[in-house]
Amino acid sequence: MIRLRTASAGQVRLREGMAGQAAGCPREVEVVASILDRRSLRTDDDALGTHLETCEHCREAAELTRLMSTDQERARRDIRVPAAGQVWWRAAVRARLEAVQAAARPLTWSHGIAGACAIGLVMTLLGFAWPVVRETASWTVERALEVVPVGVAATLVTTSARGGIALMVVAAVCLLFAPVALYLALSDE
Amino acid sequence: MSGLRDIVLTDLERAGAFDDAERTFQMTEDEFRLFYEQTARPVWIYLARMTSDDRLADDLLQETYYRFLRTRTAFESDDHRRHYLFRIATNLVHDHRRRPHRERTSLDQSGTRDVISERLDMGERAVQRLDLAKAMGKLKPRDRSMLWLAYAQGFSHEEIARMLGLRTSSLKALLHRARQRLMALLRVPGDRS
Repeated sequence: MIRLRTASAGQVRLREGMAGQAAGCPREVEVVASILDRRSLRTDDDALGTHLETCEHCREAAELTRLMSTDQERARRDIRVPAAGQVWWRAAVRARLEAVQAAARPLTWSHGIAGACAIGLVMTLLGFAWPVVRETASWTVERALEVVPVGVAATLVTTSARGGIALMVVAAVCLLFAPVALYLALSDE
Repeated sequence: MSGLRDIVLTDLERAGAFDDAERTFQMTEDEFRLFYEQTARPVWIYLARMTSDDRLADDLLQETYYRFLRTRTAFESDDHRRHYLFRIATNLVHDHRRRPHRERTSLDQSGTRDVISERLDMGERAVQRLDLAKAMGKLKPRDRSMLWLAYAQGFSHEEIARMLGLRTSSLKALLHRARQRLMALLRVPGDRS
């Protein structure tokens, strides 16, 4: 029976110093495999059994393997792992959730890109149309001044300018509050 | 804009998850059940021994199998699958260890929350295992992994080197030193019956 007690860190360092550098034994893997396969080294493999008696490294490896495999065997009997179906179900649900999130991500990006494209298109069209609009407006004003007397025209211009300013103020307010309204509309909270 | 609305998984979607799973995962449910029955216990014990925390081992076990199921790696054999699984488990333990201390549970309090150890029978074996858990707890995390994979799981040096991201040539020496350290901690005089 192996007697085990825990040594202090200082004792370990001392032992390490005495043990020197790693040397190992080419048959160590064979010894470990034999123990883990539950083969008796003495009865199944005389040569390996004899080697074990003479090789300090293999004896140490054998002791450690027996100790750890015993620990593992006992733990295997005692522990309760979650059922395979439960692990599969959780993994499936998580995969589904991640897939939904991944699908939502490119959708929002594409929305943003589409919005930017639309704004760009409108601005470009306005840029092209602006000279025509300006010419039409000035032609209309000239024609109107020919027809309507100057006093009446001045009154009309002042009134329309007031209406224009009001419209511009409304448009600016809309531009400022549109993102906030959009956020509130789309947010669940 | 992605944070504007929470994505809620409805019952309908949840039911559909099982249909999707067969396509998303690299094995069918039946194949998984078989593989899980063969590997879950050794993986759990490995995780529990590396973290000294049974609850954490439960969580890491679920994560290990999830990552395994999602992988696109083409496995050559069952052994290859098993090695890959332990590799994921090893990485998860190392990732957990790198997290800030307050996020972690009692990683360094070896054996204090170990349910297995609490269930030990009285006698010599119990003393041995408590000593093993205590001694393992004093080792560096990498040494712990190396020793368990080599002497409890019986993986070859090449396999352990791949799992831990080490060179095979240096693993032998590292393993030998780790073993000497553990044996010194256990203070094994060699009086076997």
